[in-house]
Formats: sequence, C-alpha cells, structure tokens
Amino acid sequence: MAPSLMPQAPHKDDLEQTWAFLEKGIDSVMLKLEEGVDMKTYMALYTAVHNFCTSQKAVSNGQGLQAHRGAHLLGEELYKLLGHYLSSHLGNVFKESQSHTDEALLAFYIREWVRYTTAAKYINHLFRYLNRHWVKREIDEGKKNVFDVYTLHLVKWKDDFFLQVHKKVMDAVLNLVEKQRNGETIEQSQIKSIVDSFVSLGLDESDSTKSTLEVYRYYFEKPFIAATRAYYENESRRFVSENSVVEYMKKAEARLGEEKARVGLYLHPDISKHLTDTCLDVLVTNHSEVLREEFQVLLDNERQEDLARMYRLLSRIKEGLDPLRIKFETHVRKAGLVAVEKVATDDSFEPKMYVDALLQVHTRYQSLVNEAFNGESEFVRSLDNACREFVNRNKICAASSTKSPELLAKYTDSLLKKGSKAAEETELEEMLVQIMTVFKYIEDKDVFQKFYSKMLAKRLVHVSSVSDDAETSMISKLKEACGFEYTNKLQRMFQDIQISKDLNASYKDWQVKVLDDDDRKKLVDSHFQILGTGFWPLQAPSTDFLAPPEIVKTAERFQSFYFDKHNGRKLTWLWQLCKGEIKANYIKTTKVPYTFQVSTFQMAILLLFNETDTLNYEDIQKSTSLAPEILEPNLGILLKAKVLTINQEGSKPGPGTSYSLNYNFKNKKIKVNLNIQIKSEQKVESDDTHKTVEEDRKLLLQSAIVRIMKSRKKMKHVQLVQEVIQQVKSRFPPKIPDIKKNIEALMEKDYIERLDGDEIAYIA
Amino acid sequence: MSSSNPTLVFMSSDGVEITVDRDVAERSLLIKNMLEDLGETGEAIPIPNVNEAVLKKVIEWCAHHKNDPASTGDDDDSRRKTTDIDEWDQKFMQVDQEMLFEIILAANYLDIKGLLDVGCKTVANMIKGKSPEEIRKTFNIQNDFTPEEEDQIRRENEWAEE
Repeated sequence: MAPSLMPQAPHKDDLEQTWAFLEKGIDSVMLKLEEGVDMKTYMALYTAVHNFCTSQKAVSNGQGLQAHRGAHLLGEELYKLLGHYLSSHLGNVFKESQSHTDEALLAFYIREWVRYTTAAKYINHLFRYLNRHWVKREIDEGKKNVFDVYTLHLVKWKDDFFLQVHKKVMDAVLNLVEKQRNGETIEQSQIKSIVDSFVSLGLDESDSTKSTLEVYRYYFEKPFIAATRAYYENESRRFVSENSVVEYMKKAEARLGEEKARVGLYLHPDISKHLTDTCLDVLVTNHSEVLREEFQVLLDNERQEDLARMYRLLSRIKEGLDPLRIKFETHVRKAGLVAVEKVATDDSFEPKMYVDALLQVHTRYQSLVNEAFNGESEFVRSLDNACREFVNRNKICAASSTKSPELLAKYTDSLLKKGSKAAEETELEEMLVQIMTVFKYIEDKDVFQKFYSKMLAKRLVHVSSVSDDAETSMISKLKEACGFEYTNKLQRMFQDIQISKDLNASYKDWQVKVLDDDDRKKLVDSHFQILGTGFWPLQAPSTDFLAPPEIVKTAERFQSFYFDKHNGRKLTWLWQLCKGEIKANYIKTTKVPYTFQVSTFQMAILLLFNETDTLNYEDIQKSTSLAPEILEPNLGILLKAKVLTINQEGSKPGPGTSYSLNYNFKNKKIKVNLNIQIKSEQKVESDDTHKTVEEDRKLLLQSAIVRIMKSRKKMKHVQLVQEVIQQVKSRFPPKIPDIKKNIEALMEKDYIERLDGDEIAYIA
Repeated sequence: MSSSNPTLVFMSSDGVEITVDRDVAERSLLIKNMLEDLGETGEAIPIPNVNEAVLKKVIEWCAHHKNDPASTGDDDDSRRKTTDIDEWDQKFMQVDQEMLFEIILAANYLDIKGLLDVGCKTVANMIKGKSPEEIRKTFNIQNDFTPEEEDQIRRENEWAEE
C-alpha cells in the first residue's frame, strides 16, 4: 500500500481501531523498513500510542478496586497485542528457517536478527510513551515478565525463535569452525554475528537494563568447548601415533596459538580461559607422559629448541615440569661424573683439567637452563643440586672428599702465580669468576681456605704473584661469598707484605746513619719480611741450621733495628723460606760471572767452598747443622746442576762422600736457578694441610657449640646438633658423630654439662 | 551538519509552520528519536497534539534550556522531589490555568522531561497548604463524592493529619 498523505488517526478510545492502525505501521517497520517510513506515519503511530494511553475510557474497567491506587495507567492491552504480534512474526520466521541448514541457516539467522533488532529499536521509540508510563509502573510495582518494549523483543526472540533453532545454528557454527580448523577459509564474520546475537539475549531476570552472559555461556560456549575437546582429542591421538613427539609438540604449540587467536578474531573474550584450559588439557596434559618420555632423548641430543618447546608446553599445565626437573638433575649429575671420570683416567692430570671439566658441564647446562627453560628458578635449583653433587662426590673425590677444594685451590694458584698463561688482565679476571662458580658448589670450603692460604703465603713470600690487583680481586670475591671471617687471615697476610715494604725502606735509612765504612764493605744487600705468627700458615724450620757468618751479621743488625722499634717482640727466622743470590767468581770461563739463585741452605753449603775446594759430607753437616733429610736432597740438586761434583762416582749424597767445586761449570744462562722445590716436600705439605683441616674442624665445631650454649644456656641435645650444623655448614658439611664427640669433649672440659631428659646446659 | 545552526519546521495541530533550531527541538525526546530513526527529510514535522500557541510556549522553554545537561533518567530523584523552581521558570509558568495544563500535556506528549517537571511542580505549589474545598475552588472541580465516600476517605487518611 502506498503511503497515504496523512494516515487516518484511530479513535483514541477504540482499542481495536488503534491496534489495527498500529499493526499496519509495525508491519511496515518490521517487514518493509527498507522502503522507509515516512515522517507523518511515524508521528501518527507515536501519537496513536500516546492517545490510547491517555484516554479516559478504560478507567471504568477497574471500578472501585483500583480507585485508590492513584491514576490508572492504560497500555496493558497494547503491550499484550504487541507481544502476540511478535510471537506470530517469529513463528513465521521459524517456519521459514526450517528450509535452511548450515551456512545458509546462519545467513538467514543473521539477516532476520538484524531486521528484527533494527525494527525493535524503531518500535521501542514508537512505544516510548508506553515504556514511560505503563511499563515503568508495572516494573516499579515489582511485576515480573514485563519489560520495556525493546527488551520484550529480545525476550520474544529468545522464547519463540532462538530456543527452537539454537541447536541447528550451533551445529552450523561448529561445522564452520571445524572447516577452519581443517585449514579451509571461512566467513568468520558470520560466527561473530551469531556470538553477538547470543550475548544480546542474556537478560538479567531481576533487572532488564543489565545483561548477563548466561544464554551465551549455556548455548554457545558449552557446545563450542565440547566440540573443541572432541576435535583435538581425535586429532592429537591420530597425530601422535603417526608422527614424532617433536613434531607433535610443534603441532600442539601451533594449535594453542591458533585457538588463542580465534578468540580475538570472532569469539567473546569470556571463552578465553575456558578454551585455553580445554586445549591445554587435551593437547598437553593428556599427552604429558609421552612428552616427558621424550625429554631424556632431547637432553641426550642437546635439542635446545625442542627442549624449550617442551618447557613452554609443560609449564602451562599444573605440575607439568616437576618430573622434568628430576630427570634434568640426574642427567646433569651424570654428565658431571662422566666428565670427571674422563679426567681421572690420566693419573697425572693437571688441576686445570679437572676444574675445566667441572666448569664445562656447568656452563653447558646453565646456558640450557637460560635458553630452553627461561632461567626458571626451579631448574636453576636442580642445576645447582646436580653440580653440588658431582663437584663434591665424583671419582677423583672418591678417596677423599677434600680433593675438589684442593684441586681448585691449586688451579687458582697456577693462575695467580707469575708465568701463568692468562696474561690478559680481563681474561684472568674472567677465570677467577669461573673459579668462584665452582667454589660456590664446594662443600668443604674450609679445605679450600687452608690450601689457598698456604699457596698465597708462598706467592707473597716469594714475590711470585702475577699482580696485587688479581690477588685483591680474588680475596674480595671469597669475602663476598663467605664473609669477613673467611678471608680475615688472607687479608692480614697481604697487609704484612705491604707493611714490610715500608719497614725495609726505613731500615735502609737507619743503616745509612749507623754503618761505618768497614760495615759498608761487607754489607749484604738484603730484604726482610715480617710475617705475623697467627695469620700465616707457616712453621718454624724443621731442621737446625747454622746460618753462614756472611749473613748472620746482616740478620743480627736487622734484628737490633727491629727490636729498637718494637720492644718485646719475638722474631723467628724462617730459613727454609729464605733465598739469595751468590756470584761464582771462581769460574773464569765467562767474562761476567755466573749468578746462582739459591736457598739459604744451599747458600750455606756453597759458601763453605770459599775456604777449600773439597769438603766431605760430615764437614758440611757439621758446619751447617742441617738435618740429613734436608742436606741430602740439596746436595743432590747441586750435583745435578754440576756446581759440585761427587768424588765417589755413582754414589748418592750421604755419609762418607766428599764434594769438589766444579771449576768447569757451564750453563747457557748467566743466572742459574738452583732453588727448586724438593718433591718430597710437596707431598708432606699436602698431607700436613689435610691434617690441620681435621684439627681446625674440631676447633670450629667446639667454638660453635660453646657459642650456641652460651647464648641459649639450656638446650636439647638434638637441637644443639641441628644448630651446629646450621652454623658450620657454610664451611664444611659436619658429620653428626663428630659433633657428638666434640660435645663430649666439652663436657669433659666442664664447659657444658648434661642434665636430665637429654638436655645440655652451659656452665658459666 | 552543514550550517552552524540547522533548523527544522514544526507543523502545529492548527496547521501553522514554526521554524525551530534543531538543538532546541531535540530537547523533545520524541523529536530526537524520530530524527535518529528517520534522518532529516526537510519536510515539516507534524505535531498533531499541540496547537500553535502552546507549541510556541514550549519552544520558548526549550530554547531557554537548550544548554541544560541532558536528563540522566531516574537518578535525579532528589531534584524532582523538591518543589523549588528557578526564577525564570516561575515567570515562564505565570500563565492562565488552561495554558498551564496544555503545557504539561504537551511536555508529556513530546517527552520533555524538564518542562514536565516544572509544570507539575507549579501545579503542586498551587495545591500545597490548601484544604480540599480550596483546591476544588482553585481548579474549579465539582465535588462528586457522596458524603459516605468522603467520610471513608477521611478515615483512611487520618494518619496523615495532625
């Protein structure tokens, strides 16, 4: 029908006329909106609703009952008729929908939905007067099932159409999604429109201005999730049986990414967590056993990328990584043990080889933890556990657990000693840092300290440190790792050397003032080091020694200078550590005489030959007082270097032999170093060090026990043992029997006593 | 919009065309919604329920209040509960009773909340403090209660009296 000039307005009191008029208008909005609605009709429809609702007529219906409820509002009939109209419209829509399936159905649903909701907006405006008065009053009075006109449209759509077709619609949606999962291109916007429609239908029963996601969750999310689960259960089962685990991981990771993207593309964000959880469950959790079984294979083949992928996948499920950590720890420990065994096959391995082997394993797996496992702290802990195990308990440590700290200290010494290969300062620093990496895992840190301080003492006494900076750097690293107490003595040793330098300077000044010409003639160029007894791991010489008269004078002069400065101190000469240079003026074969670098003991022997060319063993021993075990090897060195010759050819130094000065001595160098360490000394030293470790541990345990008891006064035996372990474990891992033994020892000394009930008390 | 001050034309129930600024006209939710639905066609908008005199009065009010913040619905209850009326509105409402009621009906029809409120408040102020008899006189109402009915009402409302 063509739009009339001015639509015939219905009589306001006449419901039938009014409705007939409205229905025609609504029809054109609902079905022919594309033809447009003219303004006159629009205004007429609004006015018809207004006029009907403001007419006086219906008052008579209610009679007395409603008389006191205030003004009676009209509109119920219009509201009901509108509802009926919508139901019948949707009935037609449903009938038409039955001839469609799949994508055609989706297209139909969306087309009808758009048409319907657009019309709903118009009709809501046209019926605004009804909304403002009758509907508002009904809702204010708490009536259920009365909605504003727009909401009424949604409710009708849901009840009269949606509930009939949702299953078929979802089937179509899920078909489409499956197609896309299979790699086909689909019309994604269709699904998005369906999602939006389902979401719009979620009305809060108690407040129609609010919406909920209930409808969407129940009718969309639920079947969607179920279909997803079924799809991936099926796909992953098939894929795993036909492909390698590595390929499966790639597939799973790609699928997880796709599903995450899918949410952004056309789903409601509400589904995100649920969808991800479902995919993880089906794709990862259900196959976690297979994945984990592959872990060892990947580790063995160092497949870093695949390991990283496995980490990413399993880190997303609950407790997914725990079994990996255990396997990883075992694997690293084994790798460490194998590396050490390889070193141990060579009996004369260098400390460097051992430390390098430890470091290599650590470095390799640390980078794996960082690259593949995201540096995750639990994996770091597994790595640390494994390293601690193979550093402290391996083939080389089998004989003695203190082997690792000993070798580490020796390696450190080889780096810090002059002549080490790491010439570059930065390179050296880097190696010291690496040493600290191993040091961190060493349990017997006290053993390291013992060896380190011995070797530091030697470097300092013999002025053989590669640099003061490197020494300081190492000490401060140890201090950082173990605290002030650990490095206290090391630092004091270092200081003593600095102080000695100043002392020698002032000694020179003093000499200038005190010496007469005669003294000056016989002056021996000398340097002295004063080493504090308590800080240096040094002992008085193990042999008697009569210093040669040539240096006795010098020594005595220094002594008197020193006592002048520091009255009451005691000086012990550590002859075994002293050294000097002597010139061989008796050899005329070179223009410049040879210079022999010798120990004081060697010096004492050689100086005897100033008086005579031949001396027998007994004379030498008498003049020097040296014990045979020192004298003999030193004579051996002099013989080997051909400075002296033995007159009983083929004999070893010993009683009954005699020696002559070799006037035909020859050497390529002008400076000849004869001050070589005697092999037997090295072994003795190492054994001594281990012995002092045991002694020191006893003291450390006892002082810990006393310290604890002094502050606690009373304590259970078990607690005390625990506390002691806590206190000393940063130095070494104490054995419980040792702790008990020391508790007993302190009881005997009356520091502590045993009370009833396994309690121990401190005796003040 | 092309021009800075677009206008519309209203056609009153008695056939008179009145030009109105669009933003003034949109104080009426009916007009605003309609323009939103149909767009602007250029033809005169029929206002079948309001005559020229009342329509002009309504437009005057809308023009004065065109910059008021848009009504936010029910949350301005407190403002509605007082019977205070600002000075301009008081003056505006100084019209004869018939015109007053016509304005209220027009505001209700055109869906102009602010004007409807002011109109109703004006009437409320006319009732306030008056006896039923005075009220009847004010609005020229015939008493159509029987004495019995009147008695019953008084009894029911006793609680409200001192």
